[in-house]
Amino acid sequence: MFLAILLLLLGLIYPIAYYVKSNNGEIRIVATTTTSLYVTGLLDKLAEEFKEEHPNVIIDFVPVGSGEALRRAANGDACMVFVHAPSLERVYVDRGVIVNGTIFAYNYFVIAGPSNDPAGIKGFSSAVEGFKRIYVAGERGQALFVSRGDLSGTHVREWILWRKAGLNPNGTKWYIEAGAGMGKTLLIANEKNAYVLTDISTFTKFKLEGRLPNLEILVAGGDELINIYSAYLVRSCDGIKAEVAKEILEFVGTDFQEIIKIFGSDEFGSPLFNPVSGNEKYLAMRWEELSNE
Amino acid sequence: MVFMWGEVLEITSRSVMISLSATLLAASWSILASYALTRSKTASKYVMPVLQSLVGIPTVLIGLLLYTILSRSGPLGFLSLLYTPNAIILGESILITPLLITYIYGSLKASLDTYGELAYVLGGDKLGIASLVIRESTPQLFSSIIIAFSRAMGELGIALMVGGNIKGLTRVMTTAIALEVSKGEFELAIALGAILVLITISVAVIVNLIKKWWER
Repeated sequence: MFLAILLLLLGLIYPIAYYVKSNNGEIRIVATTTTSLYVTGLLDKLAEEFKEEHPNVIIDFVPVGSGEALRRAANGDACMVFVHAPSLERVYVDRGVIVNGTIFAYNYFVIAGPSNDPAGIKGFSSAVEGFKRIYVAGERGQALFVSRGDLSGTHVREWILWRKAGLNPNGTKWYIEAGAGMGKTLLIANEKNAYVLTDISTFTKFKLEGRLPNLEILVAGGDELINIYSAYLVRSCDGIKAEVAKEILEFVGTDFQEIIKIFGSDEFGSPLFNPVSGNEKYLAMRWEELSNE
Repeated sequence: MVFMWGEVLEITSRSVMISLSATLLAASWSILASYALTRSKTASKYVMPVLQSLVGIPTVLIGLLLYTILSRSGPLGFLSLLYTPNAIILGESILITPLLITYIYGSLKASLDTYGELAYVLGGDKLGIASLVIRESTPQLFSSIIIAFSRAMGELGIALMVGGNIKGLTRVMTTAIALEVSKGEFELAIALGAILVLITISVAVIVNLIKKWWER
C-alpha cells in the first residue's frame, strides 16, 4: 500500500514540475503543418527569425499530413496552418475554419521515373500528357506508378492530374498505393523502377544522398505542376494568440521572403522555394484554379 | 541540417522522464487494481481476459481517442493538456496499465495463494494481509515495471497524436526517429534508435540492481 503511494508521488514529480514551469508568460502559438514542408527546416528558421524580434513568442510546429493539419485546426487545436493543398484548403476556407490566407512560397512538383523511361515521357512539358502515357504503359504491363496514398498535398495533386487526364488508375495492378510519406514513397519507386509524382526538395535531397540510383526527373515545370504553400490564421484562435498569429502571417509575407529567396542554397546548390513577391497575382490565380479542381 | 548533440541529450532526457513518470503512475494504480481483482473471483474472471487482450492495443488508437478527448473541441479541452508532455504521460500510463495489471495480478495471485490464508489464520487484518502480499510479490513487480517502461519508451502513436512532436517541448526519441526517417536521415534515425535501446537496457539493469538490494 505504502509502495503504491510512493510510486504515485514519484510519478507526479515531473508532470507537476512541468506544469509549474510552463506558466512563465511565454506565448506559444501552435501551428499545424505538412511534414514535407517541416522537414526542409524552413519553418524552424521562421520560428527562429520571429523570436529574434519577439523574444517571448514560441511557434510550436506540429508536423502532420495536410489533411490532418487542417482537421486539427477545425477542432480548434491550432492557431495557424501552413499547407500546400489548395483543394483541401478551399473546403476549410469555405467552412470558415481558416481565414487570412497568405501565399508565402511556391515551387514545382516533378514526375520522376526509371532512367530507361518505358512510357517515353522524358522532356514532356505537360504532366497530364505524361500521366496518359504512364497509364497506357501501365496497362500494357510495361510501367508501374507509386502513389503516396495518404491524402497529402502531393497525393491530392496526383489525383487532380489523373482526373485532368480523364483516367482512373485505382484498382489497376500497376498502380501502387504506398500510404507513406514522400521519402518512403520515393524509395519504393526506386526499388520497383516505378514512376512517381514528388516534390522537388525531397527528391533532390534523396538523390544527392545516393538513395535513388534508379530514378531521374522526367517531367518538370509548367503550370500543372506548380506547388503553392499558404499560411492561414485559424478562426477559433482568439485573444493575444490571434494578435501574434496575425503578426506572424504578416512577417511570413514580408521580411521572411528574403530568407525564402535563398533558403536551401547551401545544402542543395539552389534554393528550395521561390518567394512570392512580384508573382502575387499569378499565384492567386493558380491557387484559385487548383482549389476548384 | 546538423542534429545537435545537445538536442539529442534534451530529447533523450525528456523521453526518459515522460516514460518513467507514466510507468510509476501506472504502476501505483495497477498495484491497487490488481489487488482488488484478486479479491473478487467474478471480476477477475471477466476483467482479466479483457485486460490481457488490451496489452497489444495499437498505440495510435489510444493516441487518437485521447486526442479527441483532450482536443479543444473535446470534453477535456479546457484542461489545455494537448501538446504537452503531461498529455503523453497520461496516454502512456493508460497504454501500459493493462500490461502492468496482467503481470502484477499474476504475481499477487501466486503470493496470495502462498501466504494469504496463513496470514489470515495468524490473525492479520485486511490492510496487513494486502501489504504482506504486495511486499512478497515485489520482485515480480520490478520485472513488470521494466517491461512497462520499455513499452512506454518505444511507443510512437500516442506521442505523435497528443504530443505533436513539437521541437523543444514534446519531441521524444520515437517521434524524433520518425521525423529523421521523413528527412531521409536514416543513419541518424538508427543512431537515435540505438540510444533508445541502450537506455531501456540500462534502466533494466538499474531496476534489477534495486531489486537485488530489496531482496537482500
